[in-house]
Amino acid sequence: MTAATANNVSLSWYEASARQRIDALVDAGSFSEFIGPELRETSPHLSIFDLPEQFDDGIVIGCGRVNGSSVLVAAQEGRFMGGAFGEVHGAKLTGLLRAACTLKQNVLILFDTGGVRLQEANAGELAIAEIMRAIVAARRAGISVIGLIGGRAGCYGGGSLIAGTCSRLIVSEQGRISVSGPEVIETNRGIEEFDSRDRALVWRTMGGKHRYLIGGADMFVDDEASAFRLAAIDALEFRRRWDLAVLKAEQKRLERRLQRFGDAEDAVDIWQVLGLNEPTNIPALPTDVFLRAAGNRENADDAR
Amino acid sequence: MSDWGMQKVALGERLTAGRRYAKGKIVPLPSLPAFLKAVIRSGDRVCLEGDNQKQADILASALANLDPAEVHDLHMVQSGVVLPAHLDIFEKGIARRLDFSYSGPQAARIAKMLFGRKIELGAVHTYLELFARYFIDLTPNVALIAAVSADKDGNLYTGPNTEDTPTVVEATSYKNGLVVAQVTEIVDKVPRVDIPGDLVHFVVEAGRPFYVEPLFTRDPAAITETQILTAMLAIKGIYAPYGVRRLNHGIGFNTAAIELLLPTYGEKLGLKGKICTHFALNPHPTLIPAIECGWVEQIHCFGSEVGMEDYVAARSDIFFTGPDGSLRSNRAFCQTAGLYACDMFIGSTLQIDLVGHSSTVTTSRIAGFGGAPNMGSDPRGRRHPSEPWLKAGAEAAPDADAALRRGRKLVVQIGETFGERNAPLFVERLDALELARELKLDLAPVMVYSDDVTHIVTEEGIANLLMCRTKDEREQAIRGVAGYTGIGRARDPKLVEQLRQRGVIQRPEDLGIDPLDADRNLLAARSIKDLMLASGSLYRPPSRFRNW
Repeated sequence: MTAATANNVSLSWYEASARQRIDALVDAGSFSEFIGPELRETSPHLSIFDLPEQFDDGIVIGCGRVNGSSVLVAAQEGRFMGGAFGEVHGAKLTGLLRAACTLKQNVLILFDTGGVRLQEANAGELAIAEIMRAIVAARRAGISVIGLIGGRAGCYGGGSLIAGTCSRLIVSEQGRISVSGPEVIETNRGIEEFDSRDRALVWRTMGGKHRYLIGGADMFVDDEASAFRLAAIDALEFRRRWDLAVLKAEQKRLERRLQRFGDAEDAVDIWQVLGLNEPTNIPALPTDVFLRAAGNRENADDAR
Repeated sequence: MSDWGMQKVALGERLTAGRRYAKGKIVPLPSLPAFLKAVIRSGDRVCLEGDNQKQADILASALANLDPAEVHDLHMVQSGVVLPAHLDIFEKGIARRLDFSYSGPQAARIAKMLFGRKIELGAVHTYLELFARYFIDLTPNVALIAAVSADKDGNLYTGPNTEDTPTVVEATSYKNGLVVAQVTEIVDKVPRVDIPGDLVHFVVEAGRPFYVEPLFTRDPAAITETQILTAMLAIKGIYAPYGVRRLNHGIGFNTAAIELLLPTYGEKLGLKGKICTHFALNPHPTLIPAIECGWVEQIHCFGSEVGMEDYVAARSDIFFTGPDGSLRSNRAFCQTAGLYACDMFIGSTLQIDLVGHSSTVTTSRIAGFGGAPNMGSDPRGRRHPSEPWLKAGAEAAPDADAALRRGRKLVVQIGETFGERNAPLFVERLDALELARELKLDLAPVMVYSDDVTHIVTEEGIANLLMCRTKDEREQAIRGVAGYTGIGRARDPKLVEQLRQRGVIQRPEDLGIDPLDADRNLLAARSIKDLMLASGSLYRPPSRFRNW
């Protein structure tokens, strides 16, 4: 008999709630929450639309330790409004990032978001800008801001812009990173351009494997909380300066990438150009085999 | 009286007319319209093979493109009305009368056309019932069927999706009817002969596979914790005490949850080998972990499932397969097996009323019955005993003489008290009644009649209707598991408590189940990819179910 279940006892990052993810990520019992649900800092906008509120506004922030070192942590709850950014949600993350500068502590952001909440779009968009500015300030002060992406909602819209400013991104196959979501592309450009119901297409275009292969993410892990934790420990070791020279180098890399892959119609074409064996088989590969095959991937080491 | 043999003469005329467009038995695709016009007569009874899954799609569109001035008043007798072309035939006035079983994706349009008098409805049947009538009073003059390949003699290979084909051909060909098959390709030698060539008169090479709908794939990622709770209740409160080994599952998420709990929760309860060993069931991908763990001994299938072909072929110890290695399914046999050789049917429904009638009809949709009313009914002709059947019979009539007492098939309805879009599962009055009134039907389309239902399972508990002695008890037993729906809130709490004391109603805590244990971690697979991995990558999920 072969192994009965692919599901072992470990916690699936994709399935876990924001609080379960934090519990699995930090050293046991080390987390303490800031502005917790008991303070009931709810959205001031949702009641206008007769929509339910959540006492933490869909994001959990606080401090804890990872492998002994103190970190600040933010986790979005993808099951509340698709983890979307609203006024309070965004302000909590902005505040955490500013505190990071003062406390000189690294930050882990557990993304799980569809982008900005439509019902509080202006406040949400402003929050995205403030968060990116706060990340830039933190990174200039030598602080690492690490993004972990592998939730049900993926990392879309403004969330993907924020992810783009992080020092390091850890992604699983289930994670998706993209500015526009599949439905948005299909609505605007037609089903011929992008069939949002073709899930295999969605994943090979926006999913973790492809993002890792083209330098859109730095570390690729299994969909397990323990794997995310190990990768976070690794990422926290990583130190890099961040200045104009680095940004210029990154700009060059992106131009080069566009030249190299700009004509590709499909992710598989890009994998072909990257020289991967049997490119159509990439989505089916288990993590260890995939990582060996991904030796020639693009990477984003210039900016991150 | 020298007029005997007229049907053979009529068939001979059709054959002669058809041969003008054929080389031997092979009709070239471009000649198909002219060919159909030549062999089909106005007023014919036609079976256009539309099964639960596989569709003779090329023949369907060719039929829909005939000129209604030349061919009209057809009487369609087919189990599935699934493709738009199936209804275009009526829209254009080529066909007038319809007898069918299942309409799935065309449920809304068929209702509209019935209201608009575009279709004259014979009846909505269960599969087995319609098949039966093929041999009595609805025998087709022409059958338009689908297969994977044919040789030049007309021998057909139907592949894993044999489904209704043998039954349709049997009824048509042996009663002087004409059989035309669309096949993906013509080959020198078919991998196995599913339909002998002398029953098949003409073959059209379609050049592409017939359409198949993946109807039985449930993504474990969409299973909720409430569904897991109902599954735990069913396993511990029904499967275990009755020792249900031979059964059929519906296609909902609740039963998918049961399948995925067998290797985890079921194992913990020590039930392996004691329940769920023999199935009448399509190859559900969610059953892979249980099969791989050695829970299942044998499965006979109505049809196949897209992506499961290689897995089934590699598990011929479990499934029925041919000398070519692939699955042999047969809807008529499997429906018979589900009726007579299974001790339990369990499935979900949309509405249950206060006596226990259930229906999947809403006023604007006529989805038909398919096989559920057959699976979900107590076969009065059954004579062989089995433990669950006898136990259920004893519960229903404890005072009767055991040697003269019929057993009972377990017919279980499982669901959440509030279903999709928060629609309550329990209602005062079925929407089916309204539909019957508007369409002036003699019978309201009831999926499972109350006198067949033995148990109702919701997240609030199990109601054992076998143990209800009066109409009032029955109503309170149903109200007692109806949760916060209007029906549930109008319960008589004292009577419900009495029923609970008698074990007619069992709550999770009565069964030693903590609702907080109903966690997705209990599922043996939590995603389609888990299923693929559990199958050793033999299961190849269709693109739309993948998230990798």
